Amino acid sequence: MTNLQSLSFYYPELILTVVILAAIIYDLTLDKSQSGKVGWLLVVGLIGVALAIVFQENKVTTLFSDAIVLDPFASFFKLIVILATIFVSIVSLQSGELKAYRKGEYFTLLGIITFGLFLMVSTVDLILVYLSIEIVSIMSFVLAGYLKQNTRSNEAGLKYVVYGAFSSGIMLFGLSYIYGLTGSTNYFEIQHALAGLDSEANTAIVMAMILMIAGFGYKISAVPFHFWTPDVYEGAPTTITAYLSVAPKAGAFALMIRFFNQVLADGGGMGGLDSSSIATLPWPEIFSLLAIITMTLGNLVAIQQNSIKRMLAYSSVAHAGYMLLAMPVMSGDSMYAIMMYLVMYLFMNLGAFFVVITVQNKTGGETFDDYKGLGWEMPMIGIVMTIFMVSLTGLPPTAGFIGKFYIFASLIKGGNEFYWLVMIGGINSVISLFYYLRVVKVMYFEGESHEKIVQPPTVMAALLLATAIPTVLLGVYWTPIADWVQRSLVFFIQTL
Amino acid sequence: MYRDFGTILVAAILGIIMVAVPLFLQSLVAPSKKTKEKLETYECGEVSEGSAWLQFNIRFYVIALIFLIFDVEVVFLFPWAVVFKDLGLLAMVEMSIFLVILIIGLAYVWIKSDLDWVKRKVKYAAGRYERIQIKENT
Repeated sequence: MTNLQSLSFYYPELILTVVILAAIIYDLTLDKSQSGKVGWLLVVGLIGVALAIVFQENKVTTLFSDAIVLDPFASFFKLIVILATIFVSIVSLQSGELKAYRKGEYFTLLGIITFGLFLMVSTVDLILVYLSIEIVSIMSFVLAGYLKQNTRSNEAGLKYVVYGAFSSGIMLFGLSYIYGLTGSTNYFEIQHALAGLDSEANTAIVMAMILMIAGFGYKISAVPFHFWTPDVYEGAPTTITAYLSVAPKAGAFALMIRFFNQVLADGGGMGGLDSSSIATLPWPEIFSLLAIITMTLGNLVAIQQNSIKRMLAYSSVAHAGYMLLAMPVMSGDSMYAIMMYLVMYLFMNLGAFFVVITVQNKTGGETFDDYKGLGWEMPMIGIVMTIFMVSLTGLPPTAGFIGKFYIFASLIKGGNEFYWLVMIGGINSVISLFYYLRVVKVMYFEGESHEKIVQPPTVMAALLLATAIPTVLLGVYWTPIADWVQRSLVFFIQTL
Repeated sequence: MYRDFGTILVAAILGIIMVAVPLFLQSLVAPSKKTKEKLETYECGEVSEGSAWLQFNIRFYVIALIFLIFDVEVVFLFPWAVVFKDLGLLAMVEMSIFLVILIIGLAYVWIKSDLDWVKRKVKYAAGRYERIQIKENT
């Protein structure tokens, strides 16, 4: 489709662009103390964008001369990103950390990240892969360092820049290899050209893909590329930590699924890697290894943490590992499982970070010591935190269990050779039980009991319920989500 | 396809040779008379003074960034102006949208007082810049 025709299908992004520009202008007219109003502008704008996306949900086409596609798969991830952004925008207005700062730019940058993620989930062109990762990364660098007076936040921003620049450089090198091998930046043409190559090129392909995985792995914080995660998650404003642990991860998984499914497997049929013309390459092994070290290291290091924020950082590394478990199968089931998991993960992980923000607003601390006796002092916080921790562990009847169930089910359906992954995934869940329930133990069985009961502020309480209720509900009744994911599992494909 | 990288290898080797050979030749042929003046750091022909490791005013970077944005804008405007007659109204609309976005950026830096060398005390920005102390003689 030509550029002008494409515009008529691109209106969600155009609305978002207008919202971002409006946010910049609106901020200029506001006093510093009033700058939070920009957040509401962003929330309203994003609801409009979400409606526009729902309206065009079933369209399947390619836009801007095959640069990006419009399909239900992309729309699904766009809605997830919008949901996360709305949650984080509202919670940012309540955050005590951000109180001293002007928030106009903060919300504008959140809007731009959303736009970058929209590109990320819908691109089928290597140039745009790089561009979208950079848009998201650069905005995240600024947001991670947003607390200018706080040296930890500055450190987070700088570390993020250094790691980000390095891994996107590595990824760019991998992209140049792929371009050299195939002579194209378009996924469909790359798939076609790779299928035509003889086995002589295998080494170069494996090399290029590993370099690319470095870039993707950095965004989802998979293990050899996870070193920025704990420091950035700890130093950044907690609201941004919550956002980074959900939205860019969802975007990067969409990018990864689309890339590996389209370029290395058969694209639309989703018959798994066996149907790929280059199935002789060791994809399942590479992804299995990545998934195993990611979740094992994430879980083992999380045990030793003293700060809840840092513990949740390593827990998010471990969850990236669980989602990666489904990648080696690369079948329709496994993509379905990853998408299900992301929905469940969105609610439980954002919820856990909202608890951290509430406690931080009250006590200013984020270590296990600050949580002593909290279950008795703030009963609501105690109950919802317990729900989130149980859900993150993956115990029934919570959303986390359903997410893990689908991941493991897709592995078992994938065949005998994936059974050992299920075993290791199960062992890891047991390890994670220890540090998740330690939070519950500290909240209820340590510290002195309080007579006075403290309620969180109304908006925070509403946000906690808005994440806690789905976390429980989706563990019991997940049919609507399952239907939605099923409907969304449609890719645009083009056979050359 | 991947065999085409051979061309790049040859080009790279040729590039190295073409730099290395003249350097080697001139080290053989050229007379070498070192004097004190010749060994000094070159600083545009002036006598160099002071260390280069000094702190620059952070505002240089802000100015450089703003300059870069509007420099790129001009780079985009030239090719547009060349083909403007053929494309007509559509190009006009597209470039207007581009310029509007950049003008919002200009308004932003203007209101935030980033165009002035000495920062204005802006009404709404009091909290943000209150720690900045403007030194005399800088």
